[in-house]
Amino acid sequence: MSLAFSEDTRARHERMLARYPNREAAILPTLHLAQREFGHLSAEAIAYVASLLGFTPARVEGVATFYTMYNRKPVGKYHLQVCRNLSCSLMGAEHLIEHVAGRLGVRPGETTADGKFTLSTVECLGSCGTAPVMQVNDDYYEDLSEDKVDAILDGLR
Amino acid sequence: MPNFTLNGISVDVPEGTTVLQAAKTVGIEIPHYCYHPNLSIAGNCRMCLVEVEKFPKLQIACNTVVTEGMVVKSDTEKVRQAVTGVLELMLINHPVDCPICDQAGECGLQIYYMKYGLHKSRFAFEDKVHKKKVQDIGGQIVLDAERCILCSRCIRFLQEVTGTSELEFFRRGDHSEISIFPGRPLDNQYTGNLADICPVGALTSKDFRFKCRVWFLRGTRSICPGCANGCNVEAHFKEDIVYRLKPRRNDDVNRTWMCDPGRLEYKKANEARLLTPVVRENGGLKAEAWEAALSFAAFRLWETVEAHGAASVAVIASPAFSNEELYLARKLAEEVLRTPNVGFSPRSSGNGLSDDFLIKADKNPNTRGAQLLGISEEKFDDIVRKIEGGEVKALLVFGNELADFPGERTAELLSRVPFVAQVGTNEGAVSLAAHAVLPSASFVERGGTFTNHAGRVQRFWMGFPPRGNARGGIEILVGLANRLGAGWTFAGEASVFRAIARSEAPFAGMSYESLGELGQIAGGKG
Amino acid sequence: MELVLTTHFGNERYRFAETYEQLGGYGALRKALSMPKEEIVAEVRKANLRGRGGAGFPAGVKWGFLPKDLSRPRILVINADEGEPGTFKDRLIMTRGPHLLIEGIAITCYALEAHTCYVYIRGEFVREAEIVQEAIDEATAKGYLGKGILGTGFDLEVTVHLGAGAYICGEETSLINSLEGKRGWPRVKPPFPASVGAFGLPTIVNNVETIADIPWIVTHGGEKFASLGVEKDGGTRLICVSGPVKKPGVYELPVGTSLRSIIYEHAGGLRDGKALKAVIPGGSSTPVLRADEIDVGFDIESMQKIGTMAGSGGVIVIPEGTCMVRALSVLMNFYAHESCGQCTPCREGCGWLAKVLHRIENGQGRNGDVELILEVCDNMLGRTICPLADAAVMPAQSFIWKFREEFDGHLREKKCPYGNRF
Ligand SMILES: Cc1cc2nc3c(=O)[nH]c(=O)nc-3n(C[C@H](O)[C@H](O)[C@H](O)COP(=O)(O)O)c2cc1C
Ligand code: SF4
Ligand code: SF4
Ligand code: FES
Ligand code: FES
Repeated sequence: MSLAFSEDTRARHERMLARYPNREAAILPTLHLAQREFGHLSAEAIAYVASLLGFTPARVEGVATFYTMYNRKPVGKYHLQVCRNLSCSLMGAEHLIEHVAGRLGVRPGETTADGKFTLSTVECLGSCGTAPVMQVNDDYYEDLSEDKVDAILDGLR
Repeated sequence: MPNFTLNGISVDVPEGTTVLQAAKTVGIEIPHYCYHPNLSIAGNCRMCLVEVEKFPKLQIACNTVVTEGMVVKSDTEKVRQAVTGVLELMLINHPVDCPICDQAGECGLQIYYMKYGLHKSRFAFEDKVHKKKVQDIGGQIVLDAERCILCSRCIRFLQEVTGTSELEFFRRGDHSEISIFPGRPLDNQYTGNLADICPVGALTSKDFRFKCRVWFLRGTRSICPGCANGCNVEAHFKEDIVYRLKPRRNDDVNRTWMCDPGRLEYKKANEARLLTPVVRENGGLKAEAWEAALSFAAFRLWETVEAHGAASVAVIASPAFSNEELYLARKLAEEVLRTPNVGFSPRSSGNGLSDDFLIKADKNPNTRGAQLLGISEEKFDDIVRKIEGGEVKALLVFGNELADFPGERTAELLSRVPFVAQVGTNEGAVSLAAHAVLPSASFVERGGTFTNHAGRVQRFWMGFPPRGNARGGIEILVGLANRLGAGWTFAGEASVFRAIARSEAPFAGMSYESLGELGQIAGGKG
Repeated sequence: MELVLTTHFGNERYRFAETYEQLGGYGALRKALSMPKEEIVAEVRKANLRGRGGAGFPAGVKWGFLPKDLSRPRILVINADEGEPGTFKDRLIMTRGPHLLIEGIAITCYALEAHTCYVYIRGEFVREAEIVQEAIDEATAKGYLGKGILGTGFDLEVTVHLGAGAYICGEETSLINSLEGKRGWPRVKPPFPASVGAFGLPTIVNNVETIADIPWIVTHGGEKFASLGVEKDGGTRLICVSGPVKKPGVYELPVGTSLRSIIYEHAGGLRDGKALKAVIPGGSSTPVLRADEIDVGFDIESMQKIGTMAGSGGVIVIPEGTCMVRALSVLMNFYAHESCGQCTPCREGCGWLAKVLHRIENGQGRNGDVELILEVCDNMLGRTICPLADAAVMPAQSFIWKFREEFDGHLREKKCPYGNRF
């Protein structure tokens, strides 16, 4: 197995383990760490996490595929996740998604050829008062309009 | 002991009993998929909904513990409508092609939707959620994920029983799919149970797949002959061919499980069988009628005793034979042949596989029985030494092998004995060397008892009469003994067991009635 | 107007311990540490504090379900999953006043004799979790958390646990499974978390807002809190208003404030002169109200009386011109996407509802589809492990009951009269 955590991540991982009464509870946080470290959770990454914590890869895969934030496939450098739930839809999310898709030349679920952007639609992000909303990697962008999105995308080039 | 009312019937149950369990005890069937008596409660299929007085919503019977005075109804229109609704929803994404499904005939889904008069969900979409097609997932199992109703029994089994967790649900919602992790097939010795507990045709047995439609099969209660654990099983057969073994519930022995090697034990009843008595004289083999074969063997034993004394005759019993047969074998040696040379062949290791669950290293079903009947293992070594020293002139061997000896060793040993008679079921090193082969019935073709490693005496029942010209071991032993003047009047295994219960202390007070289906521990503690 | 939570939310520095302390923060904890534990619980009971996570269960009563014996350690879990569409208030507390939550946690754990608390924050809230973690670190440094809090013998360890994208993990037993590193499947009950919860230990799960109210209750007394609201439903609530209103956002208002005034006064009414068509009052899972049904107090019982729920306080305003079939279709996509897949009726039913609504919206509906939807709803309602199936059914039924004509119109005309758009 070639994948492994860096020294730094290993240390973080150890500290994190101490917060829980057992290793099972560390599965979600470890997957988060692995995704940050490896970009996405390949089969190899799943198997690595499983062996690190002492579970079968099937157990870890079952967990990883339950939650939408774990990417089993590679995503672009910027993962654009546009909310498609009701409040955002009422505020124009559908148009926004079409706009972003048109501008990037991809459909939701796809990554641009240069590997820079992945466009996804997601369910309510818990920010409906500032709809429409999109999350790019760890950050929220709120009160979006087409112009605002254009400016954001330009900034991410 | 809380008392409650189920469909108007008053029922007393032990503390902690669920409504579903209680219903079973009074013969009321509450439909269920995810509940399994030997697994944790999942409560996900929602088939076991019942009305419980004072609860506005229907409750699941599998997770409702009976309390004093509870009033439960499982036969109302409301319940029926709810169960029909659940079934109809279940069929949305389930293929309806029972005629080509291997589970047909014992499919929980098929059984209930016929019972509830549904054939196709009105909600069914043309575009069902598609999942992986049939695949070999290791062990004895093939998986057809599209047929899975997501009851999680298999997952719980692999978590709670084997602890190996090879199967999991991946994704969620109606895209949830049962699967192994790619490249990580099932890796435990109990995979066959998955086909048993899967209520539909998602997990099926590779071995049994499409061999025989289940409705042609008949079954008999039996004991797995594969090792000293004595797992309770059901043997399924059609005419005189056995198709499979399935575990039979006995919570003190194997709960509802059995191991994979044990599942294949049925093959011994079908393959390489000795089916007709054979006599070897002047270097040639000759099939004989029973009368002639028995007379021949008896005569040669008598002749040897006469010529060389009783000590020149030996009996090697086998822990693969029943208590009844072992008892008669001992009796034959001690009382008829009057030889001290009786021991049992310690086929102790087999493939050596063992674990701390069901699989025992001792691959014989009745070692403990032989011991309790006073047949010793040490005596076997003694007899082997005597054979090597040329002291044994006639030998009666039970079984197809001597201990774990390689074939050449057995052949070499037996070549030193002027007369070898064998009582055995399958071809093997012994039958190749024997001068008289007396073919005996397989475990499905006769009844009797085995005593497992823990001293539990358990019955097995005859499914069908011995194949070909084979005979039950009791009949063979009585035939031999009486030709040697014994005058035995045993008829059938029950009469032998009565004699055992009378004369053998560890079995004192037992009877077939008291053993029942689940057996009893010998000698209080054995 | 008396505010419980948001008084200082305009202050950028309120999220730091120093400012929080200067403005009186952690006084309640000091007071609580000198009170008998039962007295704290009694004050919370008197406060009529109803859970703000959605179900509205009285907090003090829930705490009383913990087993009396202390042989097994107890755990407090804070539900910061904030997944109910239309709800975005806990995020506000965590970013603007995280110490309110932490002080509430410390008091609650002290009162319940719990020494471990997990704050389960939805995975998308990375920044929010960072702020909460920072606040925990500050509070620990200042002796409000950790070993021997404020010189007493009371120890408390608080851990932030991030979810990973699953609405269902807001349901408390799913959340517990998720915390334990499992798939977020809700558990069958009994046993209830108060007896067998996280890691098999007695566990109390409370919403962020519920716990953030605790310091105020300790400071001002339960009766005072109760008096802010209505009978059996005390205090203020954070009401989230979204949709095309002039001033969407979170408003802290006394429990019982009328829904009309929430929409028209506080949120400024609809934008661009639009008329109101419908309101989902308490997050997407609560039955929809027509425009003529909004003269109702925003409290649990008043909402119940008119057949809906206060839920998690997520008011979604739907303007005239919105296709109700499309709106429902968006919601059903959500529930189908979020069903954990455990229970047959929910797993199959949610997916089915989404597909059928999609076909109706696209003009491919079949005669009888609406009746079939209602039948599937009947087969889902009250038949599952957790209330997610009900959460999907309630909007589905209420949309059809109240806007039936729009569904029939789609079937009749074989197209969407609104042009398949919002
Ligand atoms: C599907 C579903 C989603 C839920 N989501 C949340 C949530 O995001 N946040 C929350 O606090 N409670 C949520 N709940 C309610 C919790 O189960 C639980 O009642 C609540 O956390 C208890 O806290 P409280 O009594 O303080 O409200 C949800 C319930 C269900 C059934
Ligand atoms: S494969 Fe069979 S046992 Fe396993 S979850 Fe599916 S239906 Fe149940
Ligand atoms: S009702 Fe739905 S979300 Fe809840 S446990 Fe059942 S399947 Fe999962
Ligand atoms: S609906 Fe988009 S953030 Fe809530
Ligand atoms: S048997 Fe009770 S829910 Fe499945």
